[in-house]
Amino acid sequence: MALKELSSLEKCLGLKKPNKYSTQGERKVPVLQNNNGPALVGLVTIASHLVHEAKRTELLGNSAEQRAVVQQWLEYRITRLDNCSKEEVKVILKELNQYLEDKVYLAGNSFTLADTLMYYGIHHIIMNLAVQEKEKFLNVTRWFDHIQHYPGVRHHLAPVVVLRNRVYPSGQH
Amino acid sequence: MTKEQVTGAAEEEQQAQSKKALKKQQKEAEKAAKKAEKQAKLAAEQQTADEDDFAKDRYGVSAMVQSQEKVDRTLVRVQELTPHRGGQLVWVRARIHTSRAKGKQCFLVLRQQQFNVQALVAVGDRASKQMVKFAANITKESIVDVEAVVQTVEQKIESCSQQDVELHIERIFVISQAEPRLPLQLEDAVRPETEGEEEGRATVNQDTKLDNRVIDLRTTTSQAIFRLQSGVCQLFRDTLINKGFVEIQTPKIISAASEGGANVFTVSYFKTSAYLAQSPQLYKQMCICADFDKVFCVGPVFRAEDSNTHRHLTEFVGLDIEMAFNYHYHEVIDSITDTMVQIFKGLRDHFQTEIQTVGKQYPSEPFKFLEPTLRLEYREAVAMLRAAGVEMGDEEDLSTPNEKLLGRLVKEKYDTDFYVLDKYPLAVRPFYTMPDPNNPKYSNSYDMFMRGEEILSGAQRVHDAQLLTERALHHGIDLEKIKAYIDSFRYGAPPHAGGGIGLERVTMLYLGLHNVRQTSMFPRDPKRLTP
Repeated sequence: MALKELSSLEKCLGLKKPNKYSTQGERKVPVLQNNNGPALVGLVTIASHLVHEAKRTELLGNSAEQRAVVQQWLEYRITRLDNCSKEEVKVILKELNQYLEDKVYLAGNSFTLADTLMYYGIHHIIMNLAVQEKEKFLNVTRWFDHIQHYPGVRHHLAPVVVLRNRVYPSGQH
Repeated sequence: MTKEQVTGAAEEEQQAQSKKALKKQQKEAEKAAKKAEKQAKLAAEQQTADEDDFAKDRYGVSAMVQSQEKVDRTLVRVQELTPHRGGQLVWVRARIHTSRAKGKQCFLVLRQQQFNVQALVAVGDRASKQMVKFAANITKESIVDVEAVVQTVEQKIESCSQQDVELHIERIFVISQAEPRLPLQLEDAVRPETEGEEEGRATVNQDTKLDNRVIDLRTTTSQAIFRLQSGVCQLFRDTLINKGFVEIQTPKIISAASEGGANVFTVSYFKTSAYLAQSPQLYKQMCICADFDKVFCVGPVFRAEDSNTHRHLTEFVGLDIEMAFNYHYHEVIDSITDTMVQIFKGLRDHFQTEIQTVGKQYPSEPFKFLEPTLRLEYREAVAMLRAAGVEMGDEEDLSTPNEKLLGRLVKEKYDTDFYVLDKYPLAVRPFYTMPDPNNPKYSNSYDMFMRGEEILSGAQRVHDAQLLTERALHHGIDLEKIKAYIDSFRYGAPPHAGGGIGLERVTMLYLGLHNVRQTSMFPRDPKRLTP
């Protein structure tokens, strides 16, 4: 999964030469062996490296505050979202829904790597939500629909259908 | 131990014993003192009771009504206690819903079916202290006759149905006393779930209500639900009679399972066994072949389905229709949907009180429908579901969650709670369904939905004995078991179609309730056989 993400990310960033990745350990943590220097281990590390390589550092944040928030969400992706249990899914969706109530993007006012990696990570959850649940976590669904339509982002992942209008009245949750 | 120690111990024991004895004596003395006090109090009360009770003949427990005499007295219905009767002295028979004594006054709420009114007994020139005490001690749910003056009030009494008047009681007699400990409190049984949760007050769970159905049916909500259900039945009959239908009665003890062997109750029938009818299907059709043209029947339907869901009962009331048509089965769909619309209109226009009463405990959106009724084809429905992200095959039946989602999508797109789904895939329908002439994968069959749940399954029936035999064989049905049925089509049978609805389910969905047991008076399910 992580390898697919990285290759999608490369395409998204417009990097011409795809890198060769390997994995280590039970959890298949991606490893990038560079010719100059030690190996890069971990999805977030490699992703950040790719962003630098593509000279798209704005994707990691423009201001100090935005950069910090981006890092926070990248952390969240690896520590909270990946391999979470069924019970935690509801908690995560609730948290995200509350957070996204007044925000278009996860960090600041522009599209960042945080949006991309969180989108990749949460896709399998959103894909399996029923229409009623998608409406319950309305802000997450809105953000998700926005990111999946962002040019260049969605490569290896199936599009998730999001209805334009509310089908369940708001009292029924 | 030495002797001294022994005696020492014995002495201590003695002392301890005498201490115990002392304590015991003290306790007994206290008890005696309390008893004496109580007796003195009672005596004093007795005295005041025997004191001047000038209202002695204006209250009491009446002798049991054994039709001793014909009393020429008009009892006014609580529903009619309105300001226009202000100042009148009336007799009312009702139940004690609640009573609350406060010093020289006793406030009662008298209840009659869906309506209740506040009543007051106050010490004055008409009522004595003893009378007020008597009124305060009448047990809840007792039936009483009261003579009272109807008094208009300035501030509306929010908690009663009759908000603009109050009864000032001059005479009160108990006609039938209720035992003091009720199996459930009516106020709790009527309390909305949300209020119960928010304010931490008691509500009654469904099983308790069903176990004590007689008391639960007295609540204003239950009264309203079943009056409305009676209305559904009546509107169904009236509408169809006006359309020229004939009401028929079909047998419920039958020799062969009509819908399939699995979900049928077997009864012993003298030396053999028989079955309880799962639907009047076969007999409705035989009536059409017997030239009754348009028939309907209202009667019990028995399904031995071990389903413990919110919408399944083992016995329910089926309202079934069957109609011969001229050239196209849509003539029948139109007739059925028109009947349903007439029922909805009748309920909306004549049962608003009941709908509002139920809405107090179970709030819901008013039922919406279109004229003419919305009719979608199965293929369109599948497309709508796919557009919402559901994956399903063209000939796949709709699962319950998909039906519900479809209901929501249709509501959002067309703003209706009632619609018809036409041209179901042939593979998922019973053997007697007429296949679609243009596409062998589909059939001339339809389902109707209310609030996203199925209420009617119907179709054009196969009226040709040969085709019927083919279809039966195709479904692997034993032809011997349905010989009489197939025979009825051998001597000229008109093309016909029909369908059946469940009375309880329609009432439940019209009112927006969530469990069919609420709309079945004495429900039957795999776990319940009484009351």
